[in-house]
Amino acid sequence: MTKIMINPITRLEGHGKIAIFLDDDGEVSNAYLQIPELRGFEKFCEGRPAEDMPQIMQRICGVCPEAHHLAATKALDNLFKVEPTSTAKKLRELLYSAFFVTDHATHFYILAGPDFIMGPESPPAERNILGVIGKVGVEIGKKVIQTRQQNHWVIQTIGGRGIHPVFGLPGGVSKMLSEENRVKTEEIALQGVEFARFSLKIFEDLVLKNKEYLDMVLSDTYTHRTYYMGLVDENNKVNFYDGKVRVVDPNGKEFTKYSPSEYLDNLSERVEPWTYLKFPYLKKVGWNGFIDGETSGIYRATPLSRLNAADGMATPLAQEEYEKMYATLGGKPVHHTLATHWARLIELLFAAERMLELSRDPEITGPDIRNIPTETPVEGVGIVEAPRGTLTHHYITDEKGLIKKCNLIVGTTNNYAAMSLTIKKAAQGIIHKGTEITEGLLNRIELAWRAYDPCMGCATHTLPGELPIEISVYDADGTLIDSVKRF
Amino acid sequence: MDKTLVLGIGNSVLCDDGVGIRVAAEVGKRISDPAITIAEACQGGLFLLEAFLGYDHVVLIDAIQTKGGTPGQVYDLQPENFISALHLSSPHQVDFSTALELGKTLGLPMPSSIDIVAVEAGDVTTFREKFTPEVENAIPVAVEMVMRKCPAHTNYIRED
Repeated sequence: MTKIMINPITRLEGHGKIAIFLDDDGEVSNAYLQIPELRGFEKFCEGRPAEDMPQIMQRICGVCPEAHHLAATKALDNLFKVEPTSTAKKLRELLYSAFFVTDHATHFYILAGPDFIMGPESPPAERNILGVIGKVGVEIGKKVIQTRQQNHWVIQTIGGRGIHPVFGLPGGVSKMLSEENRVKTEEIALQGVEFARFSLKIFEDLVLKNKEYLDMVLSDTYTHRTYYMGLVDENNKVNFYDGKVRVVDPNGKEFTKYSPSEYLDNLSERVEPWTYLKFPYLKKVGWNGFIDGETSGIYRATPLSRLNAADGMATPLAQEEYEKMYATLGGKPVHHTLATHWARLIELLFAAERMLELSRDPEITGPDIRNIPTETPVEGVGIVEAPRGTLTHHYITDEKGLIKKCNLIVGTTNNYAAMSLTIKKAAQGIIHKGTEITEGLLNRIELAWRAYDPCMGCATHTLPGELPIEISVYDADGTLIDSVKRF
Repeated sequence: MDKTLVLGIGNSVLCDDGVGIRVAAEVGKRISDPAITIAEACQGGLFLLEAFLGYDHVVLIDAIQTKGGTPGQVYDLQPENFISALHLSSPHQVDFSTALELGKTLGLPMPSSIDIVAVEAGDVTTFREKFTPEVENAIPVAVEMVMRKCPAHTNYIRED
């Protein structure tokens, strides 16, 4: 029998490319990050009923459909000028908190873990989840899978489906939560809180107590002073589901705070000739090139950015960890890109605590789950925090509610300019004249980019955290001298 | 009673990317058996691992792009066909292999057999709900191949 061996290429036409260019002295002169973009989605939506958007939009992305579903649902609330009921808001936030638990836990153990637990220059064959489990134990691996399964159950129970939830409607949700399922959700939330605390302990033991890693986190190579963006509640505390978008400057001072419908007053998009994807920036600061600092409109929207942009966490245990992080890293804001991993774990704890609060809320099983819209639709904007950054959906319809125009700014896109800065600076700090370019060394550049939890090509089936990326290094003549492919 | 999962994976609004979901749905129209679950997924990796748990047999249906492949070609594959790429960070197949390895390492209740029916895709970058003609024509072939993977249940095929 002939054995067929398949030689798969990436299922997407494109893949991420990092190109590093050296000068005559062998130093890094420039570095570019190219992200593939699946185009045509906005056009695809034109002419369709606005009510279909929560179902269609979440199919953009195989990794965070819940974020697109809720951003679209909130845009419909705004479009139809209808305020969801209190119970509906809480059910939406409960589902969304469960989603954050699964997503952030997966990122830490699958994506960040291999670099820190196995070491950034360990062989690629070991620098993966299997290597992590080999080192920290099978029980932790089982716990990760269990956490994901339990929270997927919550998403399925509240959202109506395991993938692609169907519960978001303008003015509310389609389904109540039963007392039996509330009790089970509460138990899962309790376990989630313990799992998050355990994960923070692992981070402390393996990263913070390891001088080499801590020095790497704090090094200038992985540091940028930028503006920071995140959704905050009425007390300026981190909120994933609702609130206003707050931006702080590189000194931590509030720069602007805006409602979703004001996003175009605050953001513009820069087009560069070498990439299809646009670079959002702060309109009131302006685009001044790929530089950081107060004069650059480049901002970041990441877990660390959300913590920097807020005055604290809305739950007690997460607040303790928040204070500990800033006390350890020298106060707010923290500019160290790799500290994003720490912030992500604090958000994991916040999400689990918020799940617990909501599952114990007397309103959560209430029957009042929807206000019926009665207004004629015109225009609506909805914003949530996706795990990877602030997610904006904007729809304009005709009087029948058919989409005339839609615009999206997705999580990773917010960070495109900052990721480009980060890659260039990491390359400049790591590659010098005479440096032998190894896979491990290129991984040290790549890991800076991975801290953003980038989600390229919003329709891949990629396991979160494992991204198709190619890193190439060119000499001053433009000749390729080394490359690493991860696909 | 052995439990079988027929799982279509893909994006149903991204042209040929969604062919696995369509084939699974077509199979679902032909089979009515409590021992067979028809499902769809939009992610690979750990999600697939979790979806597989508790099933004895899995038939995974997906789009694939191979070097020099002809759109519409239907492949009958096993997980071993992808093992050579284990530990690299491919967005699709390798994650699948790593996920299976992870399931075994953790001692999870993994299926005893996994079949993969893959359809060579022509276009996986255009948002549209129709397949390319080559892939549309390949759907009956893929459906038949999936049906043959469930031989114990062919008695339940409905006459359309």
